[in-house]
Order: sequence, then C-alpha cells, then structure tokens
Amino acid sequence: MPTLQFTLNGRAVQAAAESQDLLVDVLRGALALTGTHVGCDTGQCGACTVMVDGRAVRSCTLLAVQAAGCEVTTVEGLAQGDAPHPLQQAFMQCHGLQCGFCTPGMLMSAAALLRENPAPSEAEIVDALEGNLCRCTGYTNIVASVQQAARLIAGQAR
Amino acid sequence: MNAPLEASRFGSGQQVQRVEDPALVAGQGRFTDDVAPAGLLHAVFVRSPHAHARIVSIEPDAAAAMSGVVAVFTGAQLVAAGVKALPTVVPFKRSDGQDVQAAPRRALAHERVRYVGEAVVMVVAASREAARAAADAVFVEYDELPAVIDVVAAMRPGAPKVFDALPDNEAAAMRYGDAAAAQAAFDRAAVRVAVDIHNQRLAPSPLEPRAVLAEFDAATRRLQIRLSSQMPTGVRDSVAGALGLKPDAVRVVVGDVGGGFGMKTGAYPEDVAVAHAAHTLQRPVKWRAERLEEFLAAVHGRDAISHAELALDAAGKVLALRVKVMANTGAYATSTGMVIPLALGPWVITSIYDIQTIDLQLQTVMTHTGTIGAYRGAGRPEAIYITERLFDAAARELKLDPAELRRRNMIRPEQMPYKNPLGQLYDCGQFEKILDQGLALAEWHGFVARREASQRKGRLRGRGIATFLEWTGGAVFEERVTVTVRPDGIVELCSAVQAMGQGIATSLAQLAVDVFQLPIERIRVTMGDTDRNNGFGSAGSRSAYIGGSALHVASRKTLDEARTLAAQALEAPARDIEYTAGRFSVSGTDLGIDLFELAARQKDARIFVESTSAVGGASWPNACHVCEVEIDPDTGAVEVVSYASVNDIGRVISPQIVQGQVDGGAVQGIGQALCERMAYEPETGQALSASFMDYAMPRVDGFRAFKTRFDTTVPCTINPLGVKGVGELGTIGAAPAVVNAVIDALDHAGQGRSAERIQMPLTPERVWRALHGQYDPPPLPPQG
Repeated sequence: MPTLQFTLNGRAVQAAAESQDLLVDVLRGALALTGTHVGCDTGQCGACTVMVDGRAVRSCTLLAVQAAGCEVTTVEGLAQGDAPHPLQQAFMQCHGLQCGFCTPGMLMSAAALLRENPAPSEAEIVDALEGNLCRCTGYTNIVASVQQAARLIAGQAR
Repeated sequence: MNAPLEASRFGSGQQVQRVEDPALVAGQGRFTDDVAPAGLLHAVFVRSPHAHARIVSIEPDAAAAMSGVVAVFTGAQLVAAGVKALPTVVPFKRSDGQDVQAAPRRALAHERVRYVGEAVVMVVAASREAARAAADAVFVEYDELPAVIDVVAAMRPGAPKVFDALPDNEAAAMRYGDAAAAQAAFDRAAVRVAVDIHNQRLAPSPLEPRAVLAEFDAATRRLQIRLSSQMPTGVRDSVAGALGLKPDAVRVVVGDVGGGFGMKTGAYPEDVAVAHAAHTLQRPVKWRAERLEEFLAAVHGRDAISHAELALDAAGKVLALRVKVMANTGAYATSTGMVIPLALGPWVITSIYDIQTIDLQLQTVMTHTGTIGAYRGAGRPEAIYITERLFDAAARELKLDPAELRRRNMIRPEQMPYKNPLGQLYDCGQFEKILDQGLALAEWHGFVARREASQRKGRLRGRGIATFLEWTGGAVFEERVTVTVRPDGIVELCSAVQAMGQGIATSLAQLAVDVFQLPIERIRVTMGDTDRNNGFGSAGSRSAYIGGSALHVASRKTLDEARTLAAQALEAPARDIEYTAGRFSVSGTDLGIDLFELAARQKDARIFVESTSAVGGASWPNACHVCEVEIDPDTGAVEVVSYASVNDIGRVISPQIVQGQVDGGAVQGIGQALCERMAYEPETGQALSASFMDYAMPRVDGFRAFKTRFDTTVPCTINPLGVKGVGELGTIGAAPAVVNAVIDALDHAGQGRSAERIQMPLTPERVWRALHGQYDPPPLPPQG
C-alpha cells in the first residue's frame, strides 16, 4: 500500500493509503483521530469538515492522496497546547452544541472563516456555515458562538 | 465566599458550563463508530430495491469467496439458527375484534420484502470496503409484487396485502368518546368547522447515523453490544430475546449519542443481525449506517391523515370535537408505531381546553413503506396540530381574534386537577396566564402595523398562535439510582436515563450539587451501561422530570445514611449532626468529619446507596407560541420573521439547556411546517427523499431570533422537584404556530377559509399555488 505524507495538526505524519481511500477514513482509521465525524458520506452535512491548507474541506469527499504534502488541521489540532481555541471556548460558553456530533465540522468551518476574516458579520458567518447541518441547536447559539469567538480573538471578551 | 455558596453557583437554576462539552469540542467524544477493537470485522447490508417482493433465491457464494469476506448471512440462515423476530406487544385490537398481528420484523428479511431498503443479506468482512464490495456481488432474485404506499389505498378492497394472515391492511383501531353525544352537539352547534390534514412523514435524522458494535467474550460467554441508543435496557432485552439469550448474558453499553429524537428508542433489525454475527463468529463486528440507510431503514415519524371537526356555540364555546385519523405504520407495525396515534396523541388532543364531548375514530394501517416509530413529540405534535388548526378555523368562521377564542375555552386554574375526556389528569396549569405573557412578548396587538409595513415591501404577512400542553413521562414513572461516595472525593451517581445530546448529565449533576453542596467537579453522573443500572431510558421528555426526581431522592437518602454513619464516627446522636458542603459536624462543637473521609473509613471504603423512587404520574408542560411570517407573493417562499414563546415547564434546572431544547425543538417544528417531507413514489414505493439534498432539513440561514421565556411559577405538584418535561415542547408548538401564520397571510391575501386546505410542508410551490387558488384534494376523502 502506498504511503501518504502530509502535515497533520502541525506534525509530519505518514499513513498507508490506497488511491481510493478518503481522507476521513485515513484520519479516523490509520491515524486514529476520531474527532472528525461522518454524518452523511456524501458531502451534504459538513460533519467531516477539516482544514486543508487553511481552507474548510469536506474530508468525506476528498481522496486521501489529494492531501499529500498539505497541511491538514482537524478538531484535535484546534487547541493551542492546553488552552482551548477561542472557538472551542465560545461554543462551551454559548451552548453552541448539544449532541456534539456536528460540532467538529462546525468548528473547522468557523475556524477557516475566522482565519480569513477575524471580524465577520452575521451574514458572513451564516454563509460560512451554510454547508454544516445541525439537528439539535437550531443554529442560534452556533452563530452566537462564532460571534463570541471573534470577540475573544479580538480581546473584546473573556 | 463560603463553601455552600461557592457550590450553589453550580446548582439548579444556574447557568453552568455543560459537563459534556470539553470532550465534545476537543474531538474527544466517544461515539460508537469511534471504537475499534483489535480484530474488528465490518458488516454491510444488502437491501431490498423493491417495496414488495418475494425473495426467490439468494446466491451468496461469489461474495463469500471474495477477499477479506468472513461470512455472508441470509434471512433463511438466521431463521434456521433460531433467531427470532423483534417482538410486537400491543394493547390494541383490530376493528373486527381480532388481536393485532403484524408481519414479523426480522433481523434479515425472510421469504418476503415489504419496503425499499429492508435488510436482506449481511456481509461481514475484514474491512468496510471489502464488505461493501462483496455486498455488490450478492445476487438476490426477486419476484416483484404489487405494493401499496398510501393508507387510503391500502384499505380499499383488493389492495395488495402487507401481511397475508390478515383480511386487510388494518393493524389496529380505537374509538374514544361518545359518538351520539358528539353528534347531538354538532346538531345543535351554531358553528361547525372542519379541516383536512396530512401530517406528513418525517425522517428524524439525528446527525450521528446509527452504529452498533457487538463483541462476544468467550471466557464469560457474554455478548457486549455498544450502540447509539436512548434505551439501553430495551435493546438488551429485545436482542437477547431475538437471539434466545438470557438478558444477563447481554451487556449494552452506550457512549456518546449524536442525537436521538425518538429514532433511537428500541432495538433495530440491524442490531440483532450484528449481534448474531458477533455471537456466531466470536469476533467483534461493527456496522455504521450510511445516511442513505438511515433515510430508508431507520424509523420515520408521523404520517397520519385526518378529518377533524369542531362544534361551537355562538359565543365560541366548544361543544364537541370529532376526529377521524388514519395513521400509517409502515410495513412492520410496531408497538411504538401504534401507541403514538392510538394513545399518546389522543391523550392530549383536547389540550388546554375544557372539552369533554369527543368522538375519536382512529385506525392504524400497514403499507409497503419504512417503519413508523417515534419522532420528537410522538403523537402530541399530530394531535395539537389538529386542535390548533381547528381553533383558527373556528375563529375565522366566528370572526373572532384567535387568541380570544382560545381564551374562552381554556381550562381555568380552579378546575385543577382536571381530568380530560381520555381520563388523563392534569395536576396544574395556568394557561390564561401563559397566554397573556405570550401575547405581550409577541406584541400581539401591534400586528396590524407590522402587516402594513410588510405590505409596503410587497410582502404578505401572517400571524399564527398555538396554545397547548403536552404529556411527558414515557409511561414508566419509576427510576432506580445508585450513589457511591468514593474516598477519592467523587460522588458518583449512576442513572438509567440516557444522555443523547440533551445535556442531561449536566442537569442531573446540578441536582446533586443542590443536595451535596459540593462543586460540580466532585459530582460524576454515569449512564449507559446495563451492567450497572437498568430502566426505561430516555424518551417522552422524562429524563429530568423522572430521572432527576429519582436522583434527587437518592441523593437525599445518601446524605441521610451518611449522617447515621457520621453519628457513629463522631459518637454523637444523629439529630445533633449537621451537614454543610461535604462535612458533617456535631452542632455546637468543632467536632466533624469530611464526607469523603467518612466514606474511606467504611469497610469497603465507600458509602453506597441504592434508591428506587417514582413520580406521581405524567407532567403537563404547556406554552403559548406565536409566530409571524412573510410570504413573497412572486415565489411563494415563506420566511419566519418572528417567533415568541412563553413556556411553563415548572421549575428550571439548567436555564441555557432548556432554552436550547425549546429553540432547537422549534426549528424541527419549523422544518416540518415549511420544508421536510419523507416522500415515496406512490406507485413503486421508491424513496424520493433519501439524502440531505432531497430531504430539506433547516440550515443555518433559517430563522434564529427566538424570543423564549419561561414561567416557573406553576411547579409540577407530583414530583419532588416541581419540574415538567421540556424536550418536545418546542417541536409541538412550532408547526401549528407557523402554519397558522401562513394560512392567516393567505386568508388576508384573499383566499379566505380556502387557505385552510394547504398541507405541510409549506413549500414555495404549494404556497404559490395556494395564492392562485390551487389546492390538493383532502387526504382523507369524506367517506374514506
């Protein structure tokens, strides 16, 4: 089986991957990072969203080999050491999650947004999260969480 | 700050960070599919492409010979191995007096398939990819048979039969009330209104697909099943029964559950099949559903058609309610699928109104479609939708404010406790007070100006209201809780209610904080292990109400026992022992002992208390929900523009969590009102909405600006906490509030009472057609 090399959460990794393997299966399987979830297998729910070279990507519709040489960030790589990422902190503060199954995908879509646009408008947040389904929260607190994270990053909230 | 005060920051009524969250936001949750023991095998199912067919033959050999394949199972093999069908226990009869009978719901179909997506063959292989490839190589020959999808067609003479042993497709029937008294009331009524309703089929769609991992321990001869479920004990008993094992030979373990909404309440055929494979092969076997399989083969909710009538006097007092319902059970009529339309719905259909004369004619009918089970609300959304639609129709006929008509019919506080005509006893409720607050919050009387403002933008505005109650409790009012005070400074409380994402571990922990006066970090709530505790599980909004009450009682009992132990340790009479924040002391002295030190001194180094307690019956949360919508007349697109609700759920334990429940629940109700529908092709029974591209679930661009309030001044009187259930309230209120608002807009646009003919979901196409006077025929023909 060919070996795939890429940067995962800041560390160089190698994993065996067949050409037809999806990135999500390699992450959850060989690399044992199960924070990235599969909710629909078809790129329609966003639960499997990760960042590839800083952009939000559905790992269930990306072949693992396409990530070769890329910088991949999963929810496990969001925290800085022991300190949760402002988004993680904000989702906890604002009750931005209930069952938590869609949450890793939400966090990664939002992280990609804040990376590009640290002070997004509500409309921009909605636009960035349009591809992520949540069945529990009704989204109100998810949008509020992203707004709170932006304030945390800007040092305007704690 | 002193210790009890410090601890009380985490007690009930306080906003706390959920104990579930740190792991979930870090990607450290433990959902079933995250677990992969060594030597794991993967199961994949071959599913029926036909709604109704005879299985002529199955050729598994090619698949079995493929690389990585360990075994291929067919229905015939499972029957030969003695695997039994899942049980259907129903306290109902057919209208001809016969007992309910239904086609056996087997782990794998045997001889006959009865809906598209039914599991027929299970392939087990070393990898998921190998299992999937082999599943494609299984050849099943079918003899296709005529199918029936619609309940009205299914009851016509000569319709294709779902279960040959019965004379027709009726599963069960119920009649409640007094038909003659109702007829007399209709005869003398000043006003009679009727509505025809299709409460469409919905796919519950928690984001986590079902997953089950079964392992057989050869040493102990026990089967361990890890799965995503709301009812571990029920799954244990059903799977054990199907496999011919004693319940204690099976252990069910539940980790994180990625949403349930009623869909994960019982054992599924796939659970039995996977358990059988692990048992037979003596290897761990896992299956994780693809989303397509969830749309096809996880239970659906609702799917009932009705013709409903209300008789009123000239002053708007309701004289009688008459409703005829035909509910679809799917091919495999289950207990849940029949209890919902035949009991849970009827129990609340008179809602918060003083209506004693009723005539309910209810029937459940089998069709060649997926199984109907529970979905958030389970019967109450169907019933309340009927009642609230009727009240709006009557208000329109009487030219009365719909809020005023409701007010005139509400049960008054002095009538409590109130027994409704189904024999259900409401312990408390101040419905008019909730209505008044709802109207104020929604600025009910400022609507005309808002409608005019919308009109100036070229948009049609409508306003809808739903005032209602619901039943919570799940029919089992008892819970067992064990409490262990550990020497390491932790109080561990083990409950048999089940977390499924609603945050119940946090709410239960807050209740324990109230009693023990300890920081929440010292409280550990454990659930989801049938070796540690058993019970009904989580459904019917019972977890905080019944599970919380039981946990409170158990915590108090623990402190009482610990006090006795402390008295012995301190050589003082128990009446002189005081407890404050983890420490017992002898009053008036500086003698004392720490709770955890006391535990360490016991002979097995812990204080262990087992407690079983019950609440006094169902709780009756109630609410007033008011919604306003705008319609774009050019496209028919509906936009929810405001949503205000005042909810009486008794005492609130976790403010942030209950608001999340009501608002998140309301979005599911809005989804039903506006966009969701599990659709089948009427002739072939092929599923037309089997992906998130076709099944339109609300996304983030929908309405989010909820105004949600709680009135906590009417505590439930029949449990020690005063709490009422909350998990389903939002869903129940939202669909009628939204639809009433759209009909109001259509009425105002010139459609008048014709607008009441529109059916959910209110898609742009349907709304546009309604604006042009085009409606579908009534789902239940007048003499259907």
